[in-house]
Amino acid sequence: QTRPTTPAATPALNGGATYVGEAVCIACHAPQNKQFTHTVHADIFRKNPKNELQQKSCEACHGPGSNHLKNPSDPANRPSLVGFTKEWGTPVATQNAQCMQCHSGGNHMFWDSSTHARNQLACSDCHNPMAKVSEAGLLKKQTINDTCYTCHQQQRAEFAKRSHMPLPEGKMSCVDCHNPHGSTAKALMKADSVNELCYNCHAEKRGPFLWEHAPVRDNCLTCHSPHGSNHDKLLTVARPFQCQQCHDNTNHQTNLYNAGQLLGGGAAPNSRMIGRSCQNCHSQIHGSNHPAGARFQR
Amino acid sequence: SPFATTSAGVGTTLSNKETSSVNASRSADPEWAAIKHTPTGQMFKWPLVVPKLEDIAKSASGWEYSGQLEVGYIGGDADERNARYRMYQDFDQGAYVNNFDLAMKKADGSFFGLSGGAAGRRDQYYGVNFGRANSWTLKLYFSETPHVFTDSYKTLWSGLGTGNLVLLTGLTPGGTASTTADNAAVAAAAANSANRTSLSLTRKRYGARLDLTLSAAWKVYASYALEERKGARPLGAVWGNNGGTAPIEIPEPVDYDTKDLSAGVTYAAGLNAFNFRWSSSIFDNKIDTLTFQEPYRIAPQGFTTTPAAGAYVVGRFDLTPSNTSHNARAEYTRKLPDLYNGSITAVVAAGTWRQNDNLIPYTTVAGITSANVTILPGGDWSSVGSLSRPTARGKIDTRTADLTLSLNPSAELNVKLKGRFNESDNNSDPYYAVNPNAVYVDADAATAGAQTRGLSYAGLTGVWGRPLNDATGSGGVLFAGAPTPTGSVVISNKIYSSKQYRFGPTADYLLSKTANFTGSYERDTVERTNRERAKVWDDRFKLGYVNRALPLNSTLRTSYEYGQRRGSRYLTAYYEDAMSAAIIAMPTTVGTNVTSWAVRNNGALRNYELSDRNQHIVNVRLDTMLRPNLDAGLSFQFRESRYPDAAFGRAKDSSDSANLDLNYQPSPKQNIYSFYSYQQSRVRQASIQQAGNVTIGVVSPLGVITPENAATIGSTPGGPFYSLGNAWGARSTDRNHVAGLGFKQELGKATFNLDYSYTLGRTRLAYQYAIGGAINAANAVFAGDRVPDMAMDASYLDASLRFPLTPRLSARLVYRNQWETIRDWHYRNLDGSPVVAPNPANAPTVVGLDGGPMAYRVNWYGVMFQIKL
Repeated sequence: QTRPTTPAATPALNGGATYVGEAVCIACHAPQNKQFTHTVHADIFRKNPKNELQQKSCEACHGPGSNHLKNPSDPANRPSLVGFTKEWGTPVATQNAQCMQCHSGGNHMFWDSSTHARNQLACSDCHNPMAKVSEAGLLKKQTINDTCYTCHQQQRAEFAKRSHMPLPEGKMSCVDCHNPHGSTAKALMKADSVNELCYNCHAEKRGPFLWEHAPVRDNCLTCHSPHGSNHDKLLTVARPFQCQQCHDNTNHQTNLYNAGQLLGGGAAPNSRMIGRSCQNCHSQIHGSNHPAGARFQR
Repeated sequence: SPFATTSAGVGTTLSNKETSSVNASRSADPEWAAIKHTPTGQMFKWPLVVPKLEDIAKSASGWEYSGQLEVGYIGGDADERNARYRMYQDFDQGAYVNNFDLAMKKADGSFFGLSGGAAGRRDQYYGVNFGRANSWTLKLYFSETPHVFTDSYKTLWSGLGTGNLVLLTGLTPGGTASTTADNAAVAAAAANSANRTSLSLTRKRYGARLDLTLSAAWKVYASYALEERKGARPLGAVWGNNGGTAPIEIPEPVDYDTKDLSAGVTYAAGLNAFNFRWSSSIFDNKIDTLTFQEPYRIAPQGFTTTPAAGAYVVGRFDLTPSNTSHNARAEYTRKLPDLYNGSITAVVAAGTWRQNDNLIPYTTVAGITSANVTILPGGDWSSVGSLSRPTARGKIDTRTADLTLSLNPSAELNVKLKGRFNESDNNSDPYYAVNPNAVYVDADAATAGAQTRGLSYAGLTGVWGRPLNDATGSGGVLFAGAPTPTGSVVISNKIYSSKQYRFGPTADYLLSKTANFTGSYERDTVERTNRERAKVWDDRFKLGYVNRALPLNSTLRTSYEYGQRRGSRYLTAYYEDAMSAAIIAMPTTVGTNVTSWAVRNNGALRNYELSDRNQHIVNVRLDTMLRPNLDAGLSFQFRESRYPDAAFGRAKDSSDSANLDLNYQPSPKQNIYSFYSYQQSRVRQASIQQAGNVTIGVVSPLGVITPENAATIGSTPGGPFYSLGNAWGARSTDRNHVAGLGFKQELGKATFNLDYSYTLGRTRLAYQYAIGGAINAANAVFAGDRVPDMAMDASYLDASLRFPLTPRLSARLVYRNQWETIRDWHYRNLDGSPVVAPNPANAPTVVGLDGGPMAYRVNWYGVMFQIKL
């Protein structure tokens, strides 16, 4: 097996096989062809190929087919073609190298260093190039999110929590934040920092503000769970306790707010235990541009 | 992805909640060969029915076309107004254009596509794309998303959604002489059902993207998107300070435009590939300030001598400023076949974020005076002459450089060396809170007689500090109101910058064709300016093992990661130069209370993003083919972080999850799936409730307090301020169960589809304290040891039966049952009693006009007709 950085030389794998043309393939694989015809791959290969490889259609991905024709039904002859299923058994690196013939660079530039590559994922673990199951991207499931959830079940559960990004409602996808094909940032993020990523949608929090809240400027994830949370606003802990993890200053921040201070709690109700809690007063917590906004109250 | 790439941009999907329901009802292709599995061992979805080549409709001009439209009628409870139900989706009773699409293709590769759904609703979406495959594509789209914050808001103002809120009839701007009457008036207005409303915003995103494939190697693209957000959301507004007076939720207007532009070129051929991308984001807040009338009479706290209490009628926020962002990025990789079959990848990026909004004066109230301060001409606190500069001058520059060298010394071994630099360089001008057109009276206590002059610092002279909350708050301006010096008045902002350096090797060894082992080490160093710690470094070790050939065609992926973060000296009082302590030295006289100089924060508390941390992360994932048509996915994650140097603050957090998926696909006519996830996360924290003062000459448990040791003794637990008897701890535990079940069954020509999921979330927040310490004996009776559990239960059932009426017309009967219950102690009893005033003669503790999240139960049904072209 060769490393992913070295695209497989398919003819060499096939013992000198030659191209037979897609008509030969279709003669036996009509059901596959029916589905494949509706894919963007088919449109490119058949209607507007840009190079010789793309003209090969089926064999552009599966490799030259002459050796396969010698004994097409014998499992022992499977190495004569590149297959993209568990059943076929082509090594993952070989599969991926076939895809990289066209899909290198661009969005895929960092695939080789990605956590997906390190975990030996094949392109066809997420994509089904033979059928148009998804609206775009030739995914194995109908949506980006459903595709990601097949492995990232934990995130699926997080999106079911009280506050969450609008993925279950179909208004956002995992790929809005992550590049599954690789990134130079952690967690396959599509930006160089967490905040830079969040500002893509939350531009109003970009500032820079006159008065900045240090951990806010540092990393949105200091206070927020990005996928979902049991708490309001994707917070990691209920307020005021969220804020009190850092604020043990010289004033009310140090108090132990408690059940007795709830509305109807029996003792005196306290604004820090009601409604927006600390943000009843410190409402500009992401930063203030008011000259008097050092306490984020205006 | 249709509208952004996987490497940049948002807007990668055009759909809504109903799209998946429609998709699920489509039939599977019975002619498809057989179930196949991904290389990991998960079943591919059975392809959907598509027309055979010869059955595809063709126009006389050679266009092949296909399409469908689903329209129908919804009845039942689809008009439920509940904010939780409406969040990110918009159903209503009546006629409904659920979705439509049209696909046209020509033999030369030309294509035209049109899709959309939920026409006229707030979650509608439309897309058009056309071009020629492998040559060019132009995509246009529009998508709308509702964001409903609350449906239980009680407005006291007219002008919702604008920057000027005027109190409704019956409420007195600035309140009356009777707080009891004001409380009654506010309560009556809040109770008036006519004033109950939703607060929401709608996000509308319009976009266009052009992709040109110049050759197999060269591609260029350009995109533009405009996002409009309009609406209102709750915003807390407080008066005074030292805890604040009568915080009240006002409706903040939202009227934002964000324009995103990007363009780039990519090249990939032979040994080389590079990308260049430029992107800009221009954010415009069309409403710069929010002015609101206040329904209570606010008595200024110490700062002002005139005007009198009744003059404080209007408050004003400076809303988030318009800003711009630009970024340029170049990425290059080259294969190095002669150097251990390696490659090198390099990235450089530079960007800038800027805003320069006009600053507004401290207050709208003219003529404010205070003891010990004389306002010079042009220096009124309600004028920009009271500011040290007129605009914000905010600027952050970002820079990134990333380099990876990958080598393959043998067919089995891959080694990578990675280095990365990322910088957020805040070049904003420091802002000094000083009124240059004001002076102190009797500024120098050491000089006999009254002197009139400003104090100088950082090259500026004047009266230092800032009137708080429209000049109703005390303690914001140095020496104003009370000539007693204080060390804790904020006199300037702090500028936060950071630099990150990351370096380390990874090794990937192939044990066989189907198994590999990886190991990596990484040192991640972050240097920050103006923070408690100037430098932290995180050493991370990671081991991974993948085996794709276990019994039952199983694939195992597992990893263990250990991270150890340490750092430079932790400075609790890192912002002394931004406080009045920088101007007025700590008094040394015995008997003087110097708390405002000596104490900034608990000296043993560590902010968790900066503190030492030992972290363990374990990931296990197993995919197995129990049968050729039944696969299972099992995964676990265990993550624990301990903060060994944090005696106070966050001490520990952990999150664990276990997940199981089962998929059974015995035939194209049947598909059954189920899943279950359990998650638990915990956070443990500790704090000390303040007590006493730090007074020079006093004998404290840590010794006699002197000017030299006051800061140390004052901030140390066990000292006079942070008495150990007042220590308390809290533990927050989130537990969640999520289960789902669904199946699809084709019955003759009909298709029945059902999806069900249930979510249960619980949060227990418990605390420990010493009675008589953080909580006295009388209140401990009510405090107990925890707050009531937060709870959310949600059930979702979606069922549909689709059956053909003619070859081109099908009917789909749809049924949705959805409910949610939610309990959040923050909002307990609040909807019915928004004016929280234990003593009606006093200003309220809080006026909570947002009643909080509410339960709902919805049953709706519909009949849809699917029409094929």
